[in-house]
Amino acid sequence: MRTKISELAKRLRNREISAVELTKAYIGAIEKLNPTLNAYVHLTFDTALNAAEQADQRLKEGDAPLLCGIPMALKDNICTDGLNTTCCSKILKGFKPYYDATVWEKLKAHGAVLLGKTNMDEFAMGSTSETSCYGAPLNPRNTNYVTGGSSGGSAAAVCANLAVYSLGSDTGGSIRQPASFCGVVGLKPTYGAVSRYGLIAYGSSLDQIGPMTNSVKDAAIVFDAIKGGDRRDQTSVDYDYGSSLAECLDRDVKGMRIGVAEEFFDGINPEIKSKIEEAIKLFERNGAVIENIRLPALKLALPVYYIIACAEASSNLGRYDGIRYGYRTSSYTSIEDMIVKTRSEGFGDEVKRRIMLGTYVLSSGYYDAYYKKACLIREEINREFDAVF
Amino acid sequence: MSISKTEIEKLAKLAKLSFSDEELERFTAEFDEIIAFADTINQSIEGGTEEIRNVGARMVSFDDLRADEVMPSLPNEKILSNVEGYNGFFSVERSKK
Repeated sequence: MRTKISELAKRLRNREISAVELTKAYIGAIEKLNPTLNAYVHLTFDTALNAAEQADQRLKEGDAPLLCGIPMALKDNICTDGLNTTCCSKILKGFKPYYDATVWEKLKAHGAVLLGKTNMDEFAMGSTSETSCYGAPLNPRNTNYVTGGSSGGSAAAVCANLAVYSLGSDTGGSIRQPASFCGVVGLKPTYGAVSRYGLIAYGSSLDQIGPMTNSVKDAAIVFDAIKGGDRRDQTSVDYDYGSSLAECLDRDVKGMRIGVAEEFFDGINPEIKSKIEEAIKLFERNGAVIENIRLPALKLALPVYYIIACAEASSNLGRYDGIRYGYRTSSYTSIEDMIVKTRSEGFGDEVKRRIMLGTYVLSSGYYDAYYKKACLIREEINREFDAVF
Repeated sequence: MSISKTEIEKLAKLAKLSFSDEELERFTAEFDEIIAFADTINQSIEGGTEEIRNVGARMVSFDDLRADEVMPSLPNEKILSNVEGYNGFFSVERSKK
């Protein structure tokens, strides 16, 4: 049975279950199901049990935050001090960061219990999680299906109740799409809402960390715990939301204006379309004002994303040189040879493809036609959004 | 437009990657498809402005940045914990005698 955060928090406070017992139940479930589902690629049970003991102490003292003692998971591209963080890539196999990502620092302060790191497409490049060097996770709803990606392991872990909630990262759909495939809730927060310090970079002008949960309310609770400006991520901001997102959910929708863009329905599955239309009607019945809007530049969003993300990735992944991160080729004749061999052996095909495209669109002669053009169209998409708001 | 094997080799050099002959064949063929997809950005946008804003228009001014602060660094031994370090340095085998 999948349980909501607020429900578990209540049981922990009523002493119906201890954090250690709860953690042990999740460890048991992971031991039973993970060999098949492959949702987790690194397990951190010892750390989890220690954290659960401390959580029980805090719960006893009575000052514990809502997330205290709740077992959860992190995508394998979010840095955890001293614990494996490998982006599911051979080039980072065995890599243990020496600092915590801000999101993990924040959740730890809330008393979160980390069960392990979840499977993903290598360097978050993919939409099925099949490019993972550990093999793909399976969709718990039907193991013949993929989980989606790149945060496929995070989605599968929540779906199969191998974690109460997880964090994923989203550059071009990597939280929202696997959440949809596995039937869980995924939120890509607005760019700048959550610090990416300690998130291994893919496309820095697009990357965001966000929650994957069993309910919208849970997503809001986790978002509230991880949001906020951070001096270590220059793009993050301290925005005044007026109240917590969890509280916002209890507000009335009466008079709220909701724009429905025609472009969102291009080529959509009819079953999904009818579900969305039902939801629109539900909002309308409750007093929301529905306005049909147009965002014509959106039809170019996918190639624009692909060009910009690959360009940034080709630069971000330049750091894997065989010197600083562990994996290094076994024999080489020069520094250049060592770097080239390490990268060619360490990166998978999809990563190489994107680095190559990124290099292409940034190279002289093609820069204006691809990278610059994509940036200009992104501005146009921005302008269209600004115009409707 | 079709990309040549020589161009792919040049790109690979820039990207610090190498490909076997078989991989090179495969990548060259795939690359045409990828570029064809990237080329779809050349479609016109309904109602789109002719001269789109300059990318540089959103430059961050130095006044918007916080002042530099001196903070403690991570200790050497932590940074070297993933590699075989040498006297507090990253080590690379000598390749030129």
